[in-house]
Amino acid sequence: MKLAYYPGCSLRSSGAEYDISMRKVCAALGIELVEVKDWICCGSSPAHQRDDLMSVALPAKNLAQVRETGDLKEVCAPCASCYSRLKSAQKRLEDDDLRKDVEVVIDSKYPDDIEVLHALDVITDKFGVDAVKEKVVKNLNGLKVACYYGCLMTRPPKVTGKGQFENPTQMESLIEALGGVGVDWNMKTSCCGAAFALTKRDVVLELTRKILADAESVGADVISVGCPLCHANLDGRQAQINSKFNTNFHIPIFYFTELMGLAMGIEAKDLGLHKHITEVGDFLQERVRHDRCR
Amino acid sequence: MKVVKQQDIKLDSSFADEIAKRSGENVFLCYQCRKCASGCPSRMFMDSTPTELMRYAQLGMVDEAMKKNTIWYCVSCQTCSTRCPQDIDIAHVIDTMRIIGQEKKLKADDNKLPLFNWLWMTMIRFMGRAYEPGIVGSLNFLSGKPTKDMALGMKMIKKGKLKLLPSFKKPFAMMKMFSRAKKLKHLK
Repeated sequence: MKLAYYPGCSLRSSGAEYDISMRKVCAALGIELVEVKDWICCGSSPAHQRDDLMSVALPAKNLAQVRETGDLKEVCAPCASCYSRLKSAQKRLEDDDLRKDVEVVIDSKYPDDIEVLHALDVITDKFGVDAVKEKVVKNLNGLKVACYYGCLMTRPPKVTGKGQFENPTQMESLIEALGGVGVDWNMKTSCCGAAFALTKRDVVLELTRKILADAESVGADVISVGCPLCHANLDGRQAQINSKFNTNFHIPIFYFTELMGLAMGIEAKDLGLHKHITEVGDFLQERVRHDRCR
Repeated sequence: MKVVKQQDIKLDSSFADEIAKRSGENVFLCYQCRKCASGCPSRMFMDSTPTELMRYAQLGMVDEAMKKNTIWYCVSCQTCSTRCPQDIDIAHVIDTMRIIGQEKKLKADDNKLPLFNWLWMTMIRFMGRAYEPGIVGSLNFLSGKPTKDMALGMKMIKKGKLKLLPSFKKPFAMMKMFSRAKKLKHLK
């Protein structure tokens, strides 16, 4: 399988380990990712909050770049925000008047036949959970995983086309194929406040605290995510939350691609796990020891 | 509770039309079921709920809608747009109000979000891609809190999570693209 790959700005910086693990896992599965030629920022939340036309034109430009990259009809966007912006632009561009304007802005034709996929869609829908199962060499041994989808992987369904948007189970099916257990919890599609990460810290800390608290209360060992912005908040802000709310969270936050990599026998350092702010090193060692006892 | 006197309400029937023209969303479809307010994760921080905001829009109460902090506390999580039984993309309506507010340079409840949006768009206009350390640094500096999140930032640098050198992706093509968009908007 060969598809275009749109990493997005976060995966080049704060979400580097998502990029590293995604590429490693796809290589191991035999999925060829071709990086979109000269991709630019999708505009993320600032574009749709400030400039309606650019919020559609920036994703449209990237979709036009997918066409330039080669004869590829599918593009994989691992970042939930990029995925949402690309998908939402496609929906908006069904309007002919807007499409004409956008084509003027991007100075090229807008290709309307490209399928935008989130990284999780590529793994579970295109590659298939059963095929992943065959590649597992070190199963997660009943690890209790709270699968966190956040806002934009499923919402709004008009844009994402997802059937299950209030209680998705796509990631759980993957985790179960890896030998883990997807726990039942309440906050899987709640918002972590990513759009305010740099502007309204109080909101972010409160929303993130609720998610961590719910995962802890149902006894989850780890939280699994598919978005660099969710990861930055859940992983990076535990210390700030602990000092503000007098809590004692220490929950490792994994990208689902990292859990896949571990189960497929890829070394932790090759997956970029040392980059996490909430350390996972000790946790993993304990887990491995635990496995040996059994 | 603040009582709004009838004689103080200024009606502006063009407000709903302006929103419809810009976003394609019809606020008059709202029948105040409050599903949006019930599901909104940010409502605890808001002066008015999204439902009330929709009513302001229907009645043309521009000042009420724009003065409240509600539009600046929308996290764009899309819960309201997903659950609205009338299929109104409420998050898009709120975005549209924010855009109107920023264009008219109305005072936001705090100016950090408009500043952040401006910084981000300016950055990609010249660089093509977002440059995280630059955004954080200039935002904290311009909003007068240069040491905010310093400890977390240092940790991220140590872990190699921040790309310290910016990369430029076709800056001239980007600038041209932005100016074409500006021209197009002036024509309308």
